[in-house]
Amino acid sequence: MTTTAIIETIVVLGIVAIALVYVLRRVIKTTRGHGDCGCGCGKNCKSKHKPGKEYQTKE
Amino acid sequence: MITDKDNSHNDITRLLDDEPVGKTVQVVRVMGDGAFRQRLLEMGFVRGAKVTVLKNAPLQDPVEYMIMGSHISLRHSEAAQVEVTDKDAEFCDMEDAFNGIVETSVAGVDPMADNVLRVVLIGNPNCGKTSLFNNVTGAKEKVGNYGGVTVDSKEGWFSIDGRKVQLVDLPGTYSLTEYSPEEMYVRTNIRDNHPDAILNIVDAGNLERNLYLTTQIMDMNIPMVVALNMWDELEKSGDHLDIEMMSRLLGARMVPLTAYNGHGVKEVLQATMSAIDESEQDTMHHNVNYGPLIEDCLKELGAMCPTLDRYTVLKIIENDQHAIELINSQDNAEQVKATAAEMRQRIERDFNDDITSIITDLKYGFVRGALAEALTPNPERATGDTKPGYSLDHLLTNRWLALPILLVLMWLMFEATFTLGAYPQEWIETGVEWIGNWIGQVMPDGILKDLIVDGIIGGVGGVLVFLPQILILFFCISLLEDSGYMARAAFIVDRIMHRVGLHGKSFIPYLIGFGCGVPAIMATRTLENRRDRLVTILTVPFMSCSARLPAYLLLVAAFFTAKQGLILMSIYLVGILVAALTAILLSKTILKHDKTQFVMELPPYRRPTTRNAAIHMWSKGKQYLQKMGTIILAASIIVWALGYFPRHEGQTPQQQIENSFMGQMGKAIEPIVEPLGFNWQMGVSVLTGAAAKEIVVSTMGVLYTGESDATEESTSLKEKLQSATKPNGEHVFDPIVAYSFMLFILLYFPCIAALAAIKREAGWKWVAFEVIYTTGVAWLVSFLFYQIARML
Repeated sequence: MTTTAIIETIVVLGIVAIALVYVLRRVIKTTRGHGDCGCGCGKNCKSKHKPGKEYQTKE
Repeated sequence: MITDKDNSHNDITRLLDDEPVGKTVQVVRVMGDGAFRQRLLEMGFVRGAKVTVLKNAPLQDPVEYMIMGSHISLRHSEAAQVEVTDKDAEFCDMEDAFNGIVETSVAGVDPMADNVLRVVLIGNPNCGKTSLFNNVTGAKEKVGNYGGVTVDSKEGWFSIDGRKVQLVDLPGTYSLTEYSPEEMYVRTNIRDNHPDAILNIVDAGNLERNLYLTTQIMDMNIPMVVALNMWDELEKSGDHLDIEMMSRLLGARMVPLTAYNGHGVKEVLQATMSAIDESEQDTMHHNVNYGPLIEDCLKELGAMCPTLDRYTVLKIIENDQHAIELINSQDNAEQVKATAAEMRQRIERDFNDDITSIITDLKYGFVRGALAEALTPNPERATGDTKPGYSLDHLLTNRWLALPILLVLMWLMFEATFTLGAYPQEWIETGVEWIGNWIGQVMPDGILKDLIVDGIIGGVGGVLVFLPQILILFFCISLLEDSGYMARAAFIVDRIMHRVGLHGKSFIPYLIGFGCGVPAIMATRTLENRRDRLVTILTVPFMSCSARLPAYLLLVAAFFTAKQGLILMSIYLVGILVAALTAILLSKTILKHDKTQFVMELPPYRRPTTRNAAIHMWSKGKQYLQKMGTIILAASIIVWALGYFPRHEGQTPQQQIENSFMGQMGKAIEPIVEPLGFNWQMGVSVLTGAAAKEIVVSTMGVLYTGESDATEESTSLKEKLQSATKPNGEHVFDPIVAYSFMLFILLYFPCIAALAAIKREAGWKWVAFEVIYTTGVAWLVSFLFYQIARML
């Protein structure tokens, strides 16, 4: 196996591990009812609208 | 409870249900008890109100009535609860109940005491609260031309004259009683969050009904501004409202507003800030004068509960249990309860009616009296004429045409999704293929290239190509929602809903379910009865969500050359049919219960705005793209890895994938899915779809890309599926297998996010039931379809 092939394999396995952790975290968070509410916005809709976000009137 | 046995008007009264179409009658009273009776009273079915029978629904039930300018749908069984008499009978004049106002002195408060200026939006359902909220805060919350779109509070901020203000959008409600969760939610929110001002949005074209809620807010003695939304419609109708006189009567500023285009927003906000500023000084608040007897009771009981506002004291007299709970901690709680009970009996004896009807009659009497002073109706419009905005009903809810029109509109929507979406889809497909080929050429062979080309581009690219169709479908749904047609669709099919044991309110969660199951399951919170909620929660996942759409689009485009729109529509119809059959089964077995009554308002038709439809479409498109960059990307990488490892030297790509982890997993479940016509790749695809339904397509993208010859030019997933063959040389897919696969995808267990929502709303037991039941149904339906179709 060449050095390039070894580096490529490590990079790919790293990417796969990150993907796996991401999916597991998301599944756990969702089933616990925190994190992603699942509506597709990628967040918990409730927290999205919590105070702190500032808008300006159009006037 | 009031029954027809307790009837002192038998000689002159009839039941509303017996009245023919076109007849206008006068309400005598509403029988029955509890939430349904209260809801009818709130919606204007009070003594002396005129009701016109407009039409029967195409399936003869429910019936459309007009009362106080609103169009209401009531089932026959519900109309039989309303006692009526001739419209000209000298029975009662509601204006007699107009006693004017009383003034209450309220001490000044510091609005910044809790370091935040808070304004809440309150109003009837579908009066435009969320449109104003979006306009003011810049948010993009869902709006629609039917009630019940907002089921939770939404918070946003705006700045005016250098001051930052929190704006809270509350669910629409007809009143602030204790009969439904949304009413209680609004009441509790106001009590717990102590708003500095209430911004009461009223539909200017339907003041009589809308101002009933205003009379309840007036009793809370909180600074209030009344925004007369849809002012343009009032002007068009030819009616004239003396705003100054009305403001003087209500003791609150009234400001014309047209929320959808932003006219009057600045004035509404300025008036709200002025009301907050004035509340720093001692002010006089206007309240409805209920007449000497009730006013004396309010004073007496108010003195015994000095910390409570007039609204709560009145509620205690009305025997409202949530208001009574508030005095339980007081030393004189028992004395207050006894006094309130004695007062209630005295009032009921004096008025010869029950307390709920008396208070509702008096409030409506006040509203009528105030409008008699300030509103001049268009003299050219005769009593009983419908207001503008309902003329399309002659066609769209016509007895013979309504159902065909509903089906044609649905077909047009799906056909447009296919035909219009095909062009941009081809461009994206070409782009994805080009990128795949380019990377394939420039990158040296190796594991990284395989991951990018087969895993990421094959998986994510397979889903990305359906973005145009998703956008078109949501654009069409938005047009139907904003026009007011969706409420008509509910009116047309209500009899069927009733037959299958579903609550009329279930229609809204079902509608939302075509977008996403999670908010749809949350929307069941508006159902009062737990059994109704459970039946709706458990059947909502059969409404095909947009995440399943890419799989249908892929399979229909690949294996059906003609009538593609009809094929797609048939899948949605099968979902609706299975939901109906499940609802019948549940409501006759484990969730047996009496059918709940339901009153639905039919809003006027409005011209949908391109802006709103575009916002809705873009918000869905953004969600789709976000999912693609996160969960679909991650899942595609994992699926690729499971199909790539372990590596075996000297094997063909076909052998390699069959011996991979994914291949072994697929082979293990193959005996279960084989009778449905599926191969192991399809079995694995439905399993990975548990994370998100789009992953069904991305998994197929990865698995079928892996099978292709590495030297061959990349082709679309559609072409790969068309050419996929079994070891014996037969094609894997044909129209029968494709349809069986679509049926399974439609019916099998919902994604994890939807299951989590079911767990939150109903508990783990029902999650387990849902997973087993839906998958069982999916297997059975696909099996029957496949086996029967093969025999034919």
